[in-house]
Amino acid sequence: MTAQKPSRIGYLIRPIVRENAVLILMIGLCPTLATTTSARDALGMSAAASFVLIFSNIVVSLVRKFVQPSIRIPIFIIIISTFVTIIDYVLQAYQPSLYRVLGVFVPLIVVNCIILGRAEAFAYGHGVFDSFLDGLGNSLGFTLLLVTLGAIREFFAAGTIFGKVVTPGWYRSAPMLFMIFPPGAFFVIGVLKALVAKFKLDKG
Amino acid sequence: MKSRTWMVVSLLVTCLVAAFALSEVYAVTKSQIDKQRADATESALAQVLAGAAGFREMEKDSLWYGLDSAGTKMGIVVRSGVRGYGGPVPVLVGLDLTGRIVGIKVASPAEGLKETPGLGLKATEEWFWKQFVGGDSTVALKKDGGKIDAISGATITSRAVAKGIAQTIRKYSEHLGR
Repeated sequence: MTAQKPSRIGYLIRPIVRENAVLILMIGLCPTLATTTSARDALGMSAAASFVLIFSNIVVSLVRKFVQPSIRIPIFIIIISTFVTIIDYVLQAYQPSLYRVLGVFVPLIVVNCIILGRAEAFAYGHGVFDSFLDGLGNSLGFTLLLVTLGAIREFFAAGTIFGKVVTPGWYRSAPMLFMIFPPGAFFVIGVLKALVAKFKLDKG
Repeated sequence: MKSRTWMVVSLLVTCLVAAFALSEVYAVTKSQIDKQRADATESALAQVLAGAAGFREMEKDSLWYGLDSAGTKMGIVVRSGVRGYGGPVPVLVGLDLTGRIVGIKVASPAEGLKETPGLGLKATEEWFWKQFVGGDSTVALKKDGGKIDAISGATITSRAVAKGIAQTIRKYSEHLGR
């Protein structure tokens, strides 16, 4: 990769496809595989994780001057888990049906590698606005991938996308059920990864 | 030495701020969360025991009395949970005072059903659970000498539902009648 001066727009754009955390860096796979059984669930998970990612990036960047390197990880975790608990309460109170579907994966956002990874690799060394852009870019990348994965799996497994019927009745009577099981998730993400390699999306 | 003090102070301050923020959010959302939980239970109970004006919880999460508008007992609702293929199969059963099943509701996956999609998960389909309506504590699969058609490929789940219902009705039979 040629050395280039990082630009602000780059902070926002690069994580969407070229440095997509899940697809290129292969981190944050656990929630990705587990919550993409339908496009709607994937969107819900992405929204919750995006909230935590953006706000933890901002707060980590705000306090970075006061945090000694030796205790940075505990402090990051406290910040992240605070936001996770907030979104957990909010979902329970105002989106109970989504909360029931996402279940244990909401609290598990605490250990999402992408969020701690961005706090450590970016927000700890950059300004507030840049960290916000980085958080937003990574959120968009995460959302894009999860919703794509969710839509593909839902299409094959149930014949619907976002709950809308898009296939003829004969398909829905005998769909490719394995797509909503864990192997289906590995299968689709493998195909997406192969497409990235084929079209060199990570080199562009 | 100084840096060690600062380390302790910064961690402490972080924790205090986090705890304060969380207690605020908790206070704001608590009433709404309780309301959502109560609503979900209430609507499930109303589904299995139509016509009840209200419910009184007699045993936490497993036994309710259905009351009519005058406040007298007109039926009971019990929860069963016999182990199926992937875990307990939670079923709410509405009974009239003679012990006849008037309504049942098999939990959806979001409510804790862990059966296999395409097989055991079909227990939530209407044709399957409708078969139990009108039955009593003797309900059983055809294979076990009863009248219920099992879900093809999911005998274990079907049996868990039937057995669970029969056992639970027997367990709470003393609560039937006035």
